[in-house]
Amino acid sequence: MVAAAERSAQPAAATPARPRSSLGFRYSLPVLLLLAVGFIAPLVAVIAFSFVEPRSFDLWSEPTLANYRTIFEQTYYRSFLWSLAFAALTVVVLAVICYPVAYGLARVFGRWSNLVTLLFVLPLFISENVRLYGWVLFLIKGGVLLGGVKALTGIELTSILFTPPMIVFGMVYVYLPFMLFPMTLGLSMVPREVTEAAFDLGASRAQVFREVELPLAMPGIIIGALLTFVLGVGAIVEAKVLGGQSVIPITHDIEIAFTYAQNWPLGAALSVLLMLVVGVLVLIVLKRFDLDRILGRR
Amino acid sequence: MPHLDRRAFLKVTAAAAALALPGLASRRALAAREKELNILCWEGYNSAEVLDPFRSAQGATVKAESLTNDPTMINRLRAGETNVWDLINVNNPWAREVMHPEGLIKPLDRARFEPYFEKMLPAFKPPYKWAMSEDGSELLGMAQRFGPYSFVVNTDKVSREMAEDQGWDLWNDRKNDGRYGVQESDDWNVFNLCLISGFDPFVPHTDDQVAKYTETARQVFKGAKLVGDLATMNQSLVAGEIDYYLTGGTYSASPARFDGHPEIRGVTPRSGPMPGGKGGVSWIEITSTVANPQLSPLATQFLEYVQDPEVAHVVAFAEGTFNPVAQMANPKCFELFTKEELDAIQWDSLEEEMARSVEYDIVPDYEKLHDIMTAAKREATGG
Repeated sequence: MVAAAERSAQPAAATPARPRSSLGFRYSLPVLLLLAVGFIAPLVAVIAFSFVEPRSFDLWSEPTLANYRTIFEQTYYRSFLWSLAFAALTVVVLAVICYPVAYGLARVFGRWSNLVTLLFVLPLFISENVRLYGWVLFLIKGGVLLGGVKALTGIELTSILFTPPMIVFGMVYVYLPFMLFPMTLGLSMVPREVTEAAFDLGASRAQVFREVELPLAMPGIIIGALLTFVLGVGAIVEAKVLGGQSVIPITHDIEIAFTYAQNWPLGAALSVLLMLVVGVLVLIVLKRFDLDRILGRR
Repeated sequence: MPHLDRRAFLKVTAAAAALALPGLASRRALAAREKELNILCWEGYNSAEVLDPFRSAQGATVKAESLTNDPTMINRLRAGETNVWDLINVNNPWAREVMHPEGLIKPLDRARFEPYFEKMLPAFKPPYKWAMSEDGSELLGMAQRFGPYSFVVNTDKVSREMAEDQGWDLWNDRKNDGRYGVQESDDWNVFNLCLISGFDPFVPHTDDQVAKYTETARQVFKGAKLVGDLATMNQSLVAGEIDYYLTGGTYSASPARFDGHPEIRGVTPRSGPMPGGKGGVSWIEITSTVANPQLSPLATQFLEYVQDPEVAHVVAFAEGTFNPVAQMANPKCFELFTKEELDAIQWDSLEEEMARSVEYDIVPDYEKLHDIMTAAKREATGG
């Protein structure tokens, strides 16, 4: 070790870049260690558990593919599809809802934009569960909304709680800031001069939106979309609280495997597959939209 | 006198230290555990109302973790946490049928603890089956909270008599689809799906029965308005979203009843497919000392502490859910319960409901039935 260090120190005098990088490596050691222990080790444990005999807890047994076989033989694909569909739908709905707000924050609201930002940030300080249960009390039969309507008009409406659309509503509500703020950042990166130049050259409003603003704001939009998609695939409370489990997302299947079923290996295999599916989808998007290139770093 | 050089002296002292160290270490560990108690339990025993007086009386650090299903707690011990926990509080069959045979718990001193059973309600007279080992020789734990647990109705929508008469057939009539909820309590739902299918959950099942169970599971989840936790179930009952839910009983209905909704009521079917024509299922908690190599001496003291009439009343009405306790046979304990509290735990019908119930037991083919239920739940979704 010492010899190696001395050897590496030798050319260091000639090229100053080398010691700086090894110094950097040494400085980063605590973080690397933390990552190895706190992030990589649990991940490796989950992957290892997915190859363990179903319903057993012994990591050192003969590896098996039985858990993956079970997943492909049964109807787990439904839960995967529900989760991916809900996440994708959330991204689309959020993109449509957030764009005008982000545009307003970046361009129109001026000094009011701080207040508007605060209004969107404040709910984040309250637990997601509490906020969702609040919606249940608001929307439940005889609750704030339906009870109020009945008291005022005598009309008894059917509640829309515990249905799949309510799950999307919950996800849109919870993940809105995660789309809004990157998108606002993206839009504020569009130089005003460029849009003005486009107008001067005779472009219509739609053309400026399509050919100038949207491409230039794309990094923010993509980051927001990726963030909400990944969070959305991992969502579970919305389906449980607002959806009344009318849909079982894959995260709920994972939870059942780890708790009531006490089938950790199956839960681990489902988790590994979920990571793979999400990882591949994210990579495809990142390949299609090279963030470094659109950010102008390359 | 042999000459003792420096090297020999070092050798001798090192050997002496090596011999003494483990003893020292274990004494230190034991000393450290004298003021420490770790409890793995259902909610209630982890509440400050129960633990704080014990903490201050003993000057001890008491940590309690609450979980809401038995298998998870037992697997924590199986995974090697026997050296972490001192007490485990689970439903009746686990101590005698699983934890004792697997060496996860330690028996109690019969002479010291059996007299407490004498003072409990008549059903708990010693030797009390669920507190004893299979061969009847060892006392494995103490009893306290219990209750019937079948289903809950809103009596404004379905009368108690009708619900008791119809029993599990409420879930066989497809006209009732959309009127009921299913509480997310998977182990109990497996029992109930067996009962709705018309057979005893606690015996091995034939292929025909499993086929019938599969069909029932699909129908029940397809027809459920919602699946959720007990707070959501009670909220939906009160609001009129649903008229009844399974699984439920005193434990789950009591918070709503205590909150001023006497129409929410746990119901035990009048008859069913279990021995003696019984249709309900009941639970009894057994709290055992864990087979911890360094069991805290506070573990057995805590078991005695909760037998005290006042503490037993606090346990019955600790935060969350409210339940009858076996110590209510003692007039000193019983007189602490107000009329509202007795009403919340359905004291008026407790005895007959327990008589109509079979005690919680382990389902021999639970894993298979649970997998079928999970699949049925997943396949019923999206409707």
